[in-house]
Amino acid sequence: MFENAKMQSIGLNAWFGAKQVLKDINLSVKANAVTAIIGPSGCGKSTYIRTLNRMHELVPNAKRSGQVLLDGQDIYAADVDPVMVRRRVGMVFQKPNPFPTMSIYDNVAAGLRLTGARKGQDLDAIVKRSLEQATLWEEVKDDLKKPGTSISGGQQQRLCIARAIALQPEVILMDEPCSALDPIATAKIERLVIELKRDYTVVIVTHNMQQASRVSDYTAFFYLGALIEFGGTDDIFESPKNPLTEKYITGEFG
Amino acid sequence: MSRIIDRGLEEQSVLITKMAELTYETLALSIQGYFKGKSVQDEVNEMSDMLVAMDDKLEGKTFELIARFQPVASDLRTIKSYMKIGNDFARFGRYSLDISYINEKVNGLKECDSATKVYLGEMSQKVLSMVKISIDSLRKLDVNLAKSISETEREVDKMYLEYLERLIEEDQTNSKCIISSVLITRYLERIADHATYVCESIVYIVTGEKITLS
Repeated sequence: MFENAKMQSIGLNAWFGAKQVLKDINLSVKANAVTAIIGPSGCGKSTYIRTLNRMHELVPNAKRSGQVLLDGQDIYAADVDPVMVRRRVGMVFQKPNPFPTMSIYDNVAAGLRLTGARKGQDLDAIVKRSLEQATLWEEVKDDLKKPGTSISGGQQQRLCIARAIALQPEVILMDEPCSALDPIATAKIERLVIELKRDYTVVIVTHNMQQASRVSDYTAFFYLGALIEFGGTDDIFESPKNPLTEKYITGEFG
Repeated sequence: MSRIIDRGLEEQSVLITKMAELTYETLALSIQGYFKGKSVQDEVNEMSDMLVAMDDKLEGKTFELIARFQPVASDLRTIKSYMKIGNDFARFGRYSLDISYINEKVNGLKECDSATKVYLGEMSQKVLSMVKISIDSLRKLDVNLAKSISETEREVDKMYLEYLERLIEEDQTNSKCIISSVLITRYLERIADHATYVCESIVYIVTGEKITLS
């Protein structure tokens, strides 16, 4: 456990109906670092990150027990507004999902307008800054009025990152953000992930182990809903302690 | 079902095993030539060149495996360590060549007294036994055997330093014996170091621990 953990799950369990998908997860996410979650399909990694911003509870029949702390405060406490949690802990999904009827500009501004967070703020400046941070500004600055879906898949994904950034979250969760992208677009997102950790805490779910080893500082390996091993990415990929981790990352199963 | 990388790893393993065998033969021949006053330089030179060529091939294959398969965990440790061990084996070949060169150019052992000959013979046997330990540990990936090299490594280091001190104290004047014996003890001591590095690499391959055995 880190002294300055940005997020921390303690004895976290999750279910879909009667099926338990997360089992007693104790994991710390360090501030201003990239934490990768790896594991075979169905191991609970996507469910895990969805418990970090209370998206898991949006699924019918989904249940959870245990704590998730954000700066030491339990995000599941009775007096906590889940919308506020999701504002502080943003998410980027597997497939780029810009709002199809909105322009590039409106896609970035949408979150601010919807949550009323723009009060007293210069929307143009926020949109520009968010697109710059998502390394997309130079590519779209003359086309801000064009539909968000008119740009390439990789650009759309960076647009979604800009949309998440616009709300100035503290943590950005990424659920396989490159799985639908080609290698060039993937490389741009990976560079961006490394840039983002200067200002944000990033948790990234990935099937691509080379991606985890390239972009993350810490890696957690999940298997059958349990956290098998967590440690520095260098250690996990060079000398994993658990034989299951070794077998998974060397391709013996998965 | 075997993985695609397994074939490359197997090729590396076969190559490093061949290098190990050639390493031992080269060193043994060189030491034998020295003690028997027999010229083996040409033969050792050829064997040393072969070790260098094999080391180059191993290095090329290492980069190919890294570039094509992005190995991790024990695969990465094995590939990385094989390259390092290949380099250690090439060094064995080079020191063997140095020993045969001294034998050829100075031929000084015959000028030494019998106590010195016995001392150098004993040191040579210890170093050969260390090379054998390093090769056997590699073949079997035996961590305990690899760790057992420490004791002999300390003995060889001690013998080398004691021999230098003895030369200084005795104020020897036989320059041929001195040049030849000082150089051969130095080369033997360096070979012992590299045999120890090989054993350290084996511990790293198996356990992931980076330890010092010297």
